[in-house]
Amino acid sequence: MAEQLPQTEIIKESQSLWQTGRQPAGCNHCRRTFLILPFFIGKTCPLCRMGQIESQPIRLRPAEPEKLLPFAIDPSQLQAIYTNFISGVWIKPEDFNLAKLLRKTTPIFWPLWLVDSDIKGRWQMEAGFDYKVESSKEVYVSGQWRSIQKIEPRIRWEPRLGEIESHVDNVAVPALEEHQNRQKMTGAYPTEKSQNFDPQFLGDALFEVPDLPPESAWPLAKPIVDRSAGVICQKAAGAQHNRNFALKAQYQNLNWTQFYLPMYATTYKDDDGQPQILIVNGQTGKITGPRLASRKRGLKIAVTIAAVAGGFFILAILGLLLSMLIPVAAPVAGVLGFFGLLIGLAAIVPAVWPGQWNRKQDGPRITTRGQD
Amino acid sequence: MDDVHSRISQLAPPEGYIQVDSKVHGVIVYAPQPDSNNTDQAKSYACPNCGANIAYDVAEGGIACEYCGYVAPVKGTQVGKGADEFEFTLETLSQSTRGWGTQRQVLQCASCGAQLSIPHGVLTATCPFCASNQVNVTSSPEESLRPRFLVPFKISKQQTRQISKEWLGKGWYHPNELAASTFMQRLTGVYLPFWTFDTQVNADWRAEVGYEKTTRHYNSSTKSWETRTKIVWRWETGQIHQNIDDFLVIGSHPNHISHRILNQLLPFQMNGLVAYQPEYLAGLQAMAYETTLTQAWESAKRAIREGAKKACYQDIPTSHVRNFSMTADFADETWRYILLPVYLATYRFEEKVYQMMVNGQTGKIAGQKPVAWWKIWLAIGGMLSPGLILGLIGLPMLLLAGSGVIVAGLGILLFILGIVLSIILYNKARQSEAK
Repeated sequence: MAEQLPQTEIIKESQSLWQTGRQPAGCNHCRRTFLILPFFIGKTCPLCRMGQIESQPIRLRPAEPEKLLPFAIDPSQLQAIYTNFISGVWIKPEDFNLAKLLRKTTPIFWPLWLVDSDIKGRWQMEAGFDYKVESSKEVYVSGQWRSIQKIEPRIRWEPRLGEIESHVDNVAVPALEEHQNRQKMTGAYPTEKSQNFDPQFLGDALFEVPDLPPESAWPLAKPIVDRSAGVICQKAAGAQHNRNFALKAQYQNLNWTQFYLPMYATTYKDDDGQPQILIVNGQTGKITGPRLASRKRGLKIAVTIAAVAGGFFILAILGLLLSMLIPVAAPVAGVLGFFGLLIGLAAIVPAVWPGQWNRKQDGPRITTRGQD
Repeated sequence: MDDVHSRISQLAPPEGYIQVDSKVHGVIVYAPQPDSNNTDQAKSYACPNCGANIAYDVAEGGIACEYCGYVAPVKGTQVGKGADEFEFTLETLSQSTRGWGTQRQVLQCASCGAQLSIPHGVLTATCPFCASNQVNVTSSPEESLRPRFLVPFKISKQQTRQISKEWLGKGWYHPNELAASTFMQRLTGVYLPFWTFDTQVNADWRAEVGYEKTTRHYNSSTKSWETRTKIVWRWETGQIHQNIDDFLVIGSHPNHISHRILNQLLPFQMNGLVAYQPEYLAGLQAMAYETTLTQAWESAKRAIREGAKKACYQDIPTSHVRNFSMTADFADETWRYILLPVYLATYRFEEKVYQMMVNGQTGKIAGQKPVAWWKIWLAIGGMLSPGLILGLIGLPMLLLAGSGVIVAGLGILLFILGIVLSIILYNKARQSEAK
């Protein structure tokens, strides 16, 4: 590869970075690494909830991040977001409640690389040009014709190729292996609101450290840089769209800086005591994660209802026996038996519903990574 | 980066591409080179052997020199119905290429006003529409679109002479000297402008449709069973779909060329369309369009929507229809501007001007023919006289002797028949002369 990529360095656990008092640390279970404030040492990892955060050296480019998107959602807004999220579940696990979710909430900044590059090479594409055509609708009513003019937008695709010697700035590329999944969970960010890195925006938030160093991220970054070049070429061609863009280029003066996006992580335990991680976009408030119902509580409710139904059945049998002596007791026994049947059928619902509900919770989740 | 543009612009564009304007500094853009046929480069047609004027020769299917026998085939591509069609973009007219791509001029006939495109250097010509020799050179109309396709002449001038001679000789009520005339020598090959339109029409109709219902009832006053038919009306809806392919609209003004005669020359075989090459026009005349694209499309739409309306009526199972309404939604509308080959001859006979046309592709002929009116009046007299004579005989017999009813009746009958036949003959004769 002709491109010169910046190398990462080993940052010792005792080092403090970016004049923020944050030091290197990592989870002893999922092996994610962070930059944290010292008080976080010994706490549970907010992204796996299965290991502890311990001081450890990390691999990182020591340079200060270039940009950062500050938190726009504050804890008071989180309360409403969690309440709304919880309210959708009928039979919840005991741990899945507002107070616990709020208590376990951790603000985290997660990383992207911002790549600047000089590009020199040849390109080709199908350039799409917007144009409009006139169409007609002829209406015949009461013996008269009336014409209605319609204007329809179309795209004309034409081949274009050429040379590019240009520069792309701040192309955001993945810095985490689980970038795609993370992006699915958080949804889009209003990146135009990003600020230059400033410690005043940080609060207590953790910084998740890139696990894709530039040398590993470049294969992922290249197509994104190419896409940016495609947009430049599209503009040069005066086109409004492009497709099948191909670029054969040299990339020089690559500059990699870090860009951090805000999110909250919180957790609850399911029936089996397994932690379920929820992620909230720190800008938009979009919450994602498994919203599980409790099968155990569902079964308990079902057993309770079934017991009530059983009581009705016993009363109905007694009524039947009594009807041999007092005939008028027979219809009462019938009614009791009928109610017993209805209540017994109702017991099926809480027994079955949690399983059905949980099956639908197949959205993106934080990757659970165990120890090697 | 200041010298970036100059540095990379030194690179040669790939084959078949040309450099176009770039809207971003540092990026060079190449676009496919426009078809060389569409350039406005003027061409002159001189024989490379002897230097004489050369022209398109139907029999040779190429450019030929009548003096030294030089022949060069036209590098035209037969495109047939696959010829490019153009959408009705809002910028169609402004985007369309102008000019004829060869050294031709538009001449305006001072007598009838027709606009003719003729080879460069020819300042006077006999107008094929009014046989006038007085023509003035004018500039090309501003909205001229370039014809992209044409159907070349397949019928030679020699063949048209034979066809027209046979045609002029047909019919008993034309002047006898017509068959022996040399008018057919004046047949001139002219490419006439046509617009073709393609579109999909999706029409929804709604109407009250009446169904005849026959009932029998007993009429107590006449003491008999009677049959009564009444119409039961109910609202119905329907849909039809029509695929309109190559709907032709004449691009010349009806004052200059008879649309009635031209329509009789149809159809042209669109499979014979070739990509426009100026060589096809060498030595021939070509007429620029006078009906604009918008006017032609409006005219086509009127005809197409009426066709859709007719199809909707055919979709209705009965003939009882009222409160009919419909919507014809046009989609995928496209157009072509083409030239079609026609031989025209305009001749004067007894101080009247007549037009004759031959389809340059199929040889179909139509036109005006002078009528020897004395023959018509003689024939009418012949047709009316039997009835008149019998009437003149029968009527006195009826008045004087009280007999002759049959003779008078027969006379009246023959007279009426004679009148009907006379009217038919008269109309036919008039149509023969009609423009």
